[in-house]
Amino acid sequence: MITAQAIFIGFFGIAAVWFGVVVFRTFSMVRSAIALLFSQTALGAMFLTMEVEFLGVLQIMMMATEMSIMAIFMVMFMMDPGGMGEMDMTHQKQFSLTAGFISFVGAVAVAVFIDWGPVSTVAVDSVEQTKALGFELLDRSMLIFEMAGITILTAMIAATAVAIKPASKTSQPKSSSTAHGDHQHKEQSK
Amino acid sequence: MTSLLILLSLAFGVYLLAVLEAWIVNGRFQLSRPVYSALALLGRESIIPRKPDLLFFETGPIILLIAALLAAAVIPLAPGFIIADLATGALFLNAALAYVLVALIMAGWGPNGAYAMIGGWRFLGQLIAYAMLIVMPITAVAMRAESLVTTEIVLSQSAVWNIFYQPLGFALFFIASMGLAFMPPFDMPTAKSELAGGVEAEYSGFRLAIFRLGRMVLVITLAAATVTFYLGGWHGPGLAPWVWSAIKILLVTAAMLLVGKYLPRIRESDLLAWCWKLGIPLALINIFIVGILLVVIP
Repeated sequence: MITAQAIFIGFFGIAAVWFGVVVFRTFSMVRSAIALLFSQTALGAMFLTMEVEFLGVLQIMMMATEMSIMAIFMVMFMMDPGGMGEMDMTHQKQFSLTAGFISFVGAVAVAVFIDWGPVSTVAVDSVEQTKALGFELLDRSMLIFEMAGITILTAMIAATAVAIKPASKTSQPKSSSTAHGDHQHKEQSK
Repeated sequence: MTSLLILLSLAFGVYLLAVLEAWIVNGRFQLSRPVYSALALLGRESIIPRKPDLLFFETGPIILLIAALLAAAVIPLAPGFIIADLATGALFLNAALAYVLVALIMAGWGPNGAYAMIGGWRFLGQLIAYAMLIVMPITAVAMRAESLVTTEIVLSQSAVWNIFYQPLGFALFFIASMGLAFMPPFDMPTAKSELAGGVEAEYSGFRLAIFRLGRMVLVITLAAATVTFYLGGWHGPGLAPWVWSAIKILLVTAAMLLVGKYLPRIRESDLLAWCWKLGIPLALINIFIVGILLVVIP
């Protein structure tokens, strides 16, 4: 039986896949990032349609900032971020096609052949869901989440530490092209 | 019916905000001014810049308006007077407001102009500064209410308003919400004197009208959120609940405009430094204090 819920899940599912395709069809880095964002937002909307409110809203919220930050990194690192220079940025096409096809077949096989267990037809009340999720996060799964959190934090601090230039090196310029070097040069010539 | 009434009151709120902004910032009190301004904007030609990313250029202002409207949908103006009383209301508000950033980046990137683009990316830096100061004070508010439902949050303040229960959280949220609505002194993305309007620079005519409308709805929504989370929502003696909501929202808006009038525009790096080095520790202390208060005074 096709219900309104099923139609909406299908709609958002197709939207998610379509925006995923757009990510690779455009040459603009910002368009690509924003398309990926809307693909993820469509996934969040699928959660909402399945009455999993907290996860849906969380997905929609987290992706907006994450994909925007990714967009600025793509703009900073790519040669032609606007895609207006008509530069071909693809490579290893044969390998990518094969890898993509195998992953697709694998994902479909998992979805079709796995035993999903009994399917619940009625969703739990949204307030109860949030409460249950809170207890899950601070009870049984607490160790896993704390470990993941601390690992990510360590990686962030390490990345920042690596990115910062040591202060001692910047305060003593070696080349004569800097202002300080020029000054010394003039002093000597006098 | 409720949705329609709330949208109408939002439209009236935007009108009052326009009058208030002209009055407080420019010193001119004219009730007819917003109507003339709107007519002038709608009557003018809306220029499309050369080689734009047309899709972003067109949808940016619309996404800004939609994000602000979605955020307004979870704010109760009176008991039962709310568009969607979601179980995750306080979280949904954040989710909707996160798309203000997306809208500004799209509107900044779209017109293919340097000033607009810098304005758009500036707001990304601004988000990294204010985002935690929006979320962490809301966490403390939700802790007291023991719920993310916005109606429950208002009901939890029936005895003592959160502005007295957690004044630190209120101060942080107030400042951060001004940053979110890019009001002066946090108007880096649309700075008139530095970026010639920034994100707004390449917009004109009806597209600019949509952008400004979106920003005004955003300001009203954030004032309403401040009232819901900290000023006891619709609670108040004597008058009808919706009257109290309206008075408080207007007062918060006026306070935001007044603060912006007397402060110079902050530098992006200063904002980031203050928010991360001072704001986030204070927000954590606020959560800690509220936690202790909840245990000590049940």
